[in-house]
Amino acid sequence: MPDSPDPATPLDPRDSAASRGPGDAAGVGGQGGGGQPGGSQAGAGGHGPAGAASAAARELAANGTAGPSLLLLGIDHHTVPIELRERVAYGHDEAEKMLVHLLARSAIAEALLLSTCNRTEVVLQPRDEEEAYRAALDLVFLARAPEVERPGLLYVKRNQGAARHLLSVACGLESMVLGEPEILGQVKQAAALAEAVGAAGPVLRRLLRCALAAGRRARQETAISAGAVSLGYAVIELARNIFRDLDDCRVLLIGAGEIARAVARNLAERGARELTVANRSPERARQFQEEFPQSAAVPFDQRFAAIREADLVIASTGADEPVITRRQLAEAMAARPSRALLVVDLGVPRNVEPEAGRIENVFLHSLDSLDHLIQRNLKRRKDEMPRVQEILDQEIAHFHGWYRGMQAEPLIARLQKQAERIRRQELSQALPHFPESSHEHLDRLTRSLVRKILHHPSDGLRGREGTEHLPRLDLVRELFRLDDYDDADESEARARGGEGGAAAADGDEQPPTG
Amino acid sequence: MQVLLRSANIVLPLAYLLVAVAYGFVFFAAEPRAQRAAAPALRAVILLHLAYLLGLAAHWGQFPAATESQALSLIAFAVAVVYAYVEWHGRERSTGFWLVALVFFFQLLASVLARPETPDQAIFHDPIFAVHVSLALLGYAAFAVAAAYAFLFLQLYRDLKAGRFSTFYGKLPPLAVLERMMLVALTAGFVSLTGAVVTGAFWAQRLYPSDWLHDPKILATLITWAIYGLALLLRRLRRWQGRQTALASLAGLGTILFSLVAVNLFFSGFHAFR
Repeated sequence: MPDSPDPATPLDPRDSAASRGPGDAAGVGGQGGGGQPGGSQAGAGGHGPAGAASAAARELAANGTAGPSLLLLGIDHHTVPIELRERVAYGHDEAEKMLVHLLARSAIAEALLLSTCNRTEVVLQPRDEEEAYRAALDLVFLARAPEVERPGLLYVKRNQGAARHLLSVACGLESMVLGEPEILGQVKQAAALAEAVGAAGPVLRRLLRCALAAGRRARQETAISAGAVSLGYAVIELARNIFRDLDDCRVLLIGAGEIARAVARNLAERGARELTVANRSPERARQFQEEFPQSAAVPFDQRFAAIREADLVIASTGADEPVITRRQLAEAMAARPSRALLVVDLGVPRNVEPEAGRIENVFLHSLDSLDHLIQRNLKRRKDEMPRVQEILDQEIAHFHGWYRGMQAEPLIARLQKQAERIRRQELSQALPHFPESSHEHLDRLTRSLVRKILHHPSDGLRGREGTEHLPRLDLVRELFRLDDYDDADESEARARGGEGGAAAADGDEQPPTG
Repeated sequence: MQVLLRSANIVLPLAYLLVAVAYGFVFFAAEPRAQRAAAPALRAVILLHLAYLLGLAAHWGQFPAATESQALSLIAFAVAVVYAYVEWHGRERSTGFWLVALVFFFQLLASVLARPETPDQAIFHDPIFAVHVSLALLGYAAFAVAAAYAFLFLQLYRDLKAGRFSTFYGKLPPLAVLERMMLVALTAGFVSLTGAVVTGAFWAQRLYPSDWLHDPKILATLITWAIYGLALLLRRLRRWQGRQTALASLAGLGTILFSLVAVNLFFSGFHAFR
């Protein structure tokens, strides 16, 4: 493994952070532990305040934001052919083992492994970026496919770029078929696995919550997943525009080849129960019935009798001549009650005479019109991308808002503690000068004063907007000389190895201090 | 009472506008919250409208159709009631925008034309007349709703036939549902118009025993009634399919408009509500 800047240079031009490469990342995160997400907290956890402030400033300078440190390495269908993707794909048990291996590395605090047929991505919350990067590259990718080291195959994203990419994946923006819905379930499964293994800590847990929320909102609030974009679903979409319910639809398949089976599978998944197949070869029809036990078979020459009963006809034979002519279809339509008939011609050459489409109540669609429908739906999905990006922005802002709030909590706790100490000191000096009956009243009054004075500054420190957050924390720390107070409570808290105060009370919401 | 009635002239169009906006969110954005809120909101506004009409009747002591404003408000109410019924029957809310927008338009016009005084006419005190007009308005409103569904049906039919997929495609309910809603509205309209013809004949026979059948509006109404009756019969016998029934529904609406407008303009007879 090369130890100089990695040959698998980041590719994705959308990720500006990626262009810096992992070598640069190490330059930022590798110094003095400052690359850890809670730079300001690190000071409280053992580093001096000046170290914490400079770490925070470095983080801000490096990321252009006060977000947590994140690292994402991945390959997907854009960068890698399927032969390579399938070698780096992880099943459930393999992914579980891999997460355990990753967590065994001291450089990795939290990890998530997302592996689908189109992508394998690992998202890390690193303690040391360079080490974490090396470990993930070796364990997840190179151990299975050394070719991944070739330039242009692996992409690396950091911090906000990594967070945004994961949200984008959950929304289906990175999928092979834009907006496809399965990816959200796959992200959910990856999150559940990381949770089960104990690989998801507070940062990744919150990031995943935002990613899942973004995915759900994208599908509910926009049309990113609307409309059929595959042949099978295009047939279903057409049927749903004609018939009230697919469950009551009687489907006749003329031809039992691969295409017919694929469409039948989609129809059966969506509730179609009555399937009939008419095929020249009885053997093929029998095979079809084996796959679809609920289906019936009729001889090929009795297909017109079957059309009289059908609502949806799918023709996909390899015949050179039309197997349904206008005259034959008109006769079949005349013999059936006034019900609509959807005829989908998937044959090349066409199986149904185009003139048959002129018959009243017959809706004839060929491969061309299905393609037209798919292209229209794809365009609609693409048009929705700006709205999905807005959702991504909002969820990323929530994520960073949460993180900033968590960073501020220890400081707020310390500020409150200091104010309380001053209150108690002053009160103990003043109380002897007042009658005992008024002591309780004075105690309440001073408590109320302190609470009210600190209310707005505390809210401001937790503020969700603005990238000036970290310098603001340092300013407050200096203004109130919070680090000069080293009271007994705090020493005790440190001895216990925790920051104490309000942040500790929040349990899993507190970012790790590394 | 008068203050309440006057404020209803502002509240009702606003309420229908809000409901139309909710249905607009259902149609254009498939917004789930609007989907849940639109139908109950419409029913609430219909009840408010009913209270307004009853208040008008109580205040003036006669059937509230004596002015243009009152007649338009009755039409708006009738269309809203018919649409709510058709929607409930078809369990389909995606088409509400167009019809509630129509209701809003009628009610807005009614509110704009509202005057503080109402002429006191003996005819509006007759209960049979009130039933006759109510049924006629309900019937015409139902035929208007049916025509709206017929129009939407033909749009979707054409899109699906040609594989063209216009703006309507994907936003409308399936053809079968549109046809069903059209037929429900047609049947409701036909039953109401039958009731209107029977009560009208009874009432006219009492007042004008000799020549009421020569009235052009009555003749036009009977022709309308026959067109709709024939269309429903042929559909029930399955001689006609959805497209023919939709075309007949639009033709029927044309006849209604003719009987409402042209007959009033070009013919003179007793059957003119002016």
